[in-house]
Amino acid sequence: MKYLSLILSLLILACSIKKEVEKPKIAVVISTLNNPWFVVLAESAAENAKKLGYEAKIFDSQNNPATESDNFENLISSGFDAILFNPTDADGSIANILKAKTAKIPVFCMDREVNADDAATSQILSDNYSGCVEIGIEFVKTLREKGKYVEIIGLVGDNNTWARSGGFHSVVDKFPNLKMVAQQSGDFDRNKAMEVLETIMQAQPDIDAVFCGNDAMAMGAYQALQSAGKADKVRVFGFDGASEVVEKIRENKIVATGMQYPKVMAKTAAQYADEYFKGRREFPQRVPVEVELVKSSNANKY
Amino acid sequence: MILIAFLGYNSVYFQKLSTHKNQKNVTFDFNLFADSLYFKGILTNTKAIDLNELLVQIKENSDSAFKTHGNRLGIGNSAFFMVKSQGKVSKIDNGQLTIAALNGSFINLETKYIFGNAIRDASGLVKLTDFKTNADFNKVSEALNTVIREKVLPKNISKIKIGDEISFTGALKLSKKEVLGLVILPVFITLKEK
Repeated sequence: MKYLSLILSLLILACSIKKEVEKPKIAVVISTLNNPWFVVLAESAAENAKKLGYEAKIFDSQNNPATESDNFENLISSGFDAILFNPTDADGSIANILKAKTAKIPVFCMDREVNADDAATSQILSDNYSGCVEIGIEFVKTLREKGKYVEIIGLVGDNNTWARSGGFHSVVDKFPNLKMVAQQSGDFDRNKAMEVLETIMQAQPDIDAVFCGNDAMAMGAYQALQSAGKADKVRVFGFDGASEVVEKIRENKIVATGMQYPKVMAKTAAQYADEYFKGRREFPQRVPVEVELVKSSNANKY
Repeated sequence: MILIAFLGYNSVYFQKLSTHKNQKNVTFDFNLFADSLYFKGILTNTKAIDLNELLVQIKENSDSAFKTHGNRLGIGNSAFFMVKSQGKVSKIDNGQLTIAALNGSFINLETKYIFGNAIRDASGLVKLTDFKTNADFNKVSEALNTVIREKVLPKNISKIKIGDEISFTGALKLSKKEVLGLVILPVFITLKEK
């Protein structure tokens, strides 16, 4: 009897140790790791999850919905307990979130919104629209309400692309002497944006400004303008708050950008996952994170 | 007289948010909603705090003042406040009115660049959860801004000149992180009778 109770105690102890060892696992699924901004988002999410005591693994969807779908299949079958998710497509990614939901795995979207308010547990998103309204106002004032400009938008299937473009145009389109001579996608990619602008300038050599949907593309546009000897004449506007663009703003080579806070979004998503594990079930569906306008007058603060 | 009253009554329509929520597959009329929001809500809004009072409270305890009077959706350093004040017009430049307040300070009223979510959020009348996507939520701002920028303010400011005394209510953005100028996006401006 004495031995039996001892064995039982040991079994209970072993079980509790196993439980402690088997920490909940958090998957960080990121649209692409081919862009430094998303690397910061991914690493910050994983780092925050680990700080909270969880295992964390980063999955790269390589901007490909099919790869993202495979990532979800893998992480669901591997027993992950929560997903910090940066979707590849506002519509296409909903099915993946629903797969996780069916498997009772909470999904916290970061930065990119999906077109559903009943799929993800919560969506923590940059307030792209408001940020680009401020850039739009700065754009109009800088150009003194007239001129020709080019817009290089991001990925066509990404809601952020249209939120940024929409915020910008909600201002700029009210000024009829500002003429958009071309609008093309640069896929949020520096080299693609550079090539796109080079091609556009062959047909439109006398532009006054370029608005880019992210800073990588703003750097590509700036590079194209430099090669064409027009960097001093054509004003460039970006979005993200990348350090190299902030540096260019300090040097008066780029006019403005919108400062996003990927670390804040990643930290909030990890905290929400932690709270979910501890029993919380009610989360705001969308949490906007403020974007701040960075221009030459305040660039030294960033 | 009866005809004018009839036309006036029928020129403004009110649409409840609950109606909107139940109309998921029906095209929502943001302009109609903004019209109703403006004439039903903001115009008679009594929540606007006196600007001087707000600045005193912020000096004493900014966290408390931001929490009590400000509106910040989600996470951020800034908040929007619905404020009211008055003063004498000292300058009019490209749609911006500079107002000399009674206490000697200067306030800028921006009547041209009325864009973004400042007025919607300062009013506190619309919730993020009332709309399915951020895009729709932002369309409310665009429609509301258009009402104010294109319908209300041109009439309000058409007779205003330097030296006039005016009172006004509008949205003010303040940040805990940096000092922003006192630039107010007016919801309405009233010229004081001499």
